[in-house]
Amino acid sequence: MHAMHLIGLLFLLLITGCTGVERTPPQTGAAPAVAVEPSKIGSTEQGVAKAESPDAKTSAKVPVEQPGKKPSATLSSGKKETSPPLDLTALETRLKETKAIGVFTKITLKNQVDDLLDQFRAYYQGRAKTSLAELRQPYDRLLLKVLSLLQDGDPELAREIVTSREAIWSILADPAKFATL
Amino acid sequence: MNKRAKAWALTAVMMTFFIGPSRAAEDAALLKDMTSVIALLGLPCGQVVSVIKKGDNDHIATCKDGNHYRVFLNADGRVVAQKQ
Repeated sequence: MHAMHLIGLLFLLLITGCTGVERTPPQTGAAPAVAVEPSKIGSTEQGVAKAESPDAKTSAKVPVEQPGKKPSATLSSGKKETSPPLDLTALETRLKETKAIGVFTKITLKNQVDDLLDQFRAYYQGRAKTSLAELRQPYDRLLLKVLSLLQDGDPELAREIVTSREAIWSILADPAKFATL
Repeated sequence: MNKRAKAWALTAVMMTFFIGPSRAAEDAALLKDMTSVIALLGLPCGQVVSVIKKGDNDHIATCKDGNHYRVFLNADGRVVAQKQ
């Protein structure tokens, strides 16, 4: 009888443990509107920049509103459209929380974000000879890396990052805003 | 005694049933994690096919293309992939 109690308890523990595992992110009707240029996914931070004009802007597309979409969409999709752009702190929090990427990947990404911020710091302190337009390239590359990691596992966050791309850049490109980071 | 033996057998079956898949999922997640790290660091690999844990935050990853990397967290808190 004692053993049966033990089994019952074990079952309960297993079931409790299993309930929190593998929660799939909420599915939306539309496919994730994230386009990543395949040639850039594997590029390195140290890699030589390809022949791009310095002011070349995004290669990931901002989600395009579907022509047939009615304004009376579901509440959840309406929320997504009106969600405010992420700032760097919010982005950091969301990346920490997402289950789409592993711990080592998160730490590597954090290292690369810190490296990029160091480049901006050096630029604003006059220690670097780069221009702001040149700093846009590593910024875009890093964002593409993040998007390529998230687009399958957490498409919602990937979409939010795409829509926040310019907002985040505006913080980095403004010395006053950057100083508050 | 017979009851106890049955209970243990049942427990063993349940453990195999639940722990087996959960460990496989963990392994798959680690392979994916290592693949992403090596790609982020811009090293040739393709896909990590096996990982040997050497210690806390220290792994040897074997890639599909035959490359081996030691992936670890150094003292500065940086993830490093060293070709073996």
